[in-house]
Amino acid sequence: MYINNQACSNCAQCIITCPVSAIHVDKSIKHVVIDQELCVECGVCYRSGFCKDDALVRPQLTWPRTLRAALSDPLIINPETRIPGRGTEEMKTNDVTGRYGLGYLGIAAEMGRPGSGASFVDIQKVSRALAKLGIEFCPQNPITSLIISKSGDLNPEVLGERVLSGIIEFNVPLEDAPQVLETLRQVSKEIDTVFSLDIISLVEPDGSVPMFPLLEEFGIIPSPNGKNNIGLGRPAYNFWESN
Amino acid sequence: MTHSLHRFGSPENLSGDYIVFAMSAKGINEKGSAQAMRTFMEMALDLDPVNAGDMKTGNIFSLSREEILSGIQDISIVHAVFVDEFKVSELLARVRESDLGISIVVSGLFDRVQAAGEAGGVRQHTMECSAGVWGRVDKLPSADVMQVTTMCGHGMVAAQLVERRARDIRSGKITTTQAAKELAKLCVCGIFNPIRAEKLLLAIAERQRRKEDKQLVFAGQTST
Repeated sequence: MYINNQACSNCAQCIITCPVSAIHVDKSIKHVVIDQELCVECGVCYRSGFCKDDALVRPQLTWPRTLRAALSDPLIINPETRIPGRGTEEMKTNDVTGRYGLGYLGIAAEMGRPGSGASFVDIQKVSRALAKLGIEFCPQNPITSLIISKSGDLNPEVLGERVLSGIIEFNVPLEDAPQVLETLRQVSKEIDTVFSLDIISLVEPDGSVPMFPLLEEFGIIPSPNGKNNIGLGRPAYNFWESN
Repeated sequence: MTHSLHRFGSPENLSGDYIVFAMSAKGINEKGSAQAMRTFMEMALDLDPVNAGDMKTGNIFSLSREEILSGIQDISIVHAVFVDEFKVSELLARVRESDLGISIVVSGLFDRVQAAGEAGGVRQHTMECSAGVWGRVDKLPSADVMQVTTMCGHGMVAAQLVERRARDIRSGKITTTQAAKELAKLCVCGIFNPIRAEKLLLAIAERQRRKEDKQLVFAGQTST
């Protein structure tokens, strides 16, 4: 996104719409500008309607800057997932896909969430730390498609880019979860942003949910709210026969 | 894609915040699912949600009911937001009876969703919780502002805009309802809860007022 200075009346109304504070007044030219390094191409300023001068311009992006929009603007459909948004269908269709089975947890590190944004350098720090544990990242995820080696390296072409959020997703056997959580705890001290951590668990036939005692054992208080797939999708995946 | 998972808040203010989603599984029951999602959305809209929309096209603050319904495709993800768990129960009961065959997800307090599900004749199959925010949490905005901004999990609602609108409410430039609707419009897919936002904006405005009062007192003490 950039500002067409000839159309802009310098009212500065767009500044407060930016989720990553990329819009500011450049004192040297006394004009509102968009920091191209910080801008994640989410389109919020453009869609907000705050600009009465039609001065915000969405240019045709080229690779690798296209990634910024793909992982920041929720109206863009990712070619890998064919769904809007930044991750996969994850637990939302688990009743049909069987992605998260008995004895496993789904884990996702949502890099840059909430509202901070993340560089691919930081995303790579986390993917590398997890790769050392032999983690297999979820296919059909936009971040997974950028991982080019078993050591968790990302395509070097993207390392100069930033996004509003990028989701690193994977499944682990329940018994491996403590080691994964400890690794995430350690790498979280090395990044210059935040990540929100998601944990997914199938509800057992007796109604128990393995993720809750495991998190508490690790000293993590799980949120009192979250997502609940209620199992109405068809054809229903048969978890019990497949395990 | 977990845009409704990390909604910050207290159990008290989260008790009026439920999102019900519908979507198909790509490559499994995707083909022809648009009609099932349209039926779901009609049922949801009939229950008067406080927000609703399609991640593919937009929400009720930017599109008409007809535009949302006609824009639904097999790859859509449709949602409706409710403040009343009895409406959630009612929607779940109607969806179960209709046997739409698409996946349905409810976001909200786990115990309340369980109760709403039982009343609607369904039970939890797979659950997802937030295990918190890790890393440079010192960079995050204040907790009360994050209760508003995290209602758009895609991060479309800027913290600085929330702070500004709370100030505008205090100065009478804008009503609480107008501010909440403006923020809801920015959350394009339609999972922002404007009713909850109104209460949260008032609390932020009150926090700002107390802080300014304290500064005035301090300035007065300094000048004497």
